[in-house]
Amino acid sequence: MILFLGIAVLLFGLDKSLSSEEGFAQVKECLTSPLAKFVIWGLLSALLYHLVAGVRHLIMDAGVGETLEGGKLGSKIVLVVSAIVIVLLGVWIW
Amino acid sequence: MVTNVTNFSRSGLYDWMAQRVSAVVLAAYVLFLLGYIVLNPGMGYAQWHGLFSNNAMRIFSLLTLVALGVHAWVGMWTISTDYLTPTALGKWATVVRFLFQATCGIAMFVFFVWGVQILWGF
Repeated sequence: MILFLGIAVLLFGLDKSLSSEEGFAQVKECLTSPLAKFVIWGLLSALLYHLVAGVRHLIMDAGVGETLEGGKLGSKIVLVVSAIVIVLLGVWIW
Repeated sequence: MVTNVTNFSRSGLYDWMAQRVSAVVLAAYVLFLLGYIVLNPGMGYAQWHGLFSNNAMRIFSLLTLVALGVHAWVGMWTISTDYLTPTALGKWATVVRFLFQATCGIAMFVFFVWGVQILWGF
């Protein structure tokens, strides 16, 4: 649901940033505020976690890690990889 | 009872495939765009404008908008048929679920048209 609603936020940013030189500057300016950074971080974190978990689904579709043990290991890998990516994302944003 | 009359293709197997094909397109687009922004720190308007003026980028973006519509529909359908059920909501579940799905469908259509306007309107 958050991702679905987040599409609107990201489209708005794309619209504004492409509309004109001033719009681009406005989006850049807005993204310097701590609140905006936090919102974008949260939104992109949700997106990247969804992406990492989705890649795991594709790997399992291919028949890898479908056992109980494999499933447990896979879910842990997803959490660890997502955590690393989300921390890196935070470092990049701030 | 929840039936599959409102799912994307009236076939679970086809929906399963559509979800995954659209997922690959979305993943490629997100990784490309994030990578591009990360690798071009301090990017100005001219470069950003140039990227989206490129026809290949417009085709990639439009493909992503289509994939987004498919992916979001399958996702929202799955959520609504899992949780907005007679067991959870009683006898009005079908009406509530249908209205929820209709709202999602309209929102997705608006996102698509808006996206096209953004891509070809600047």
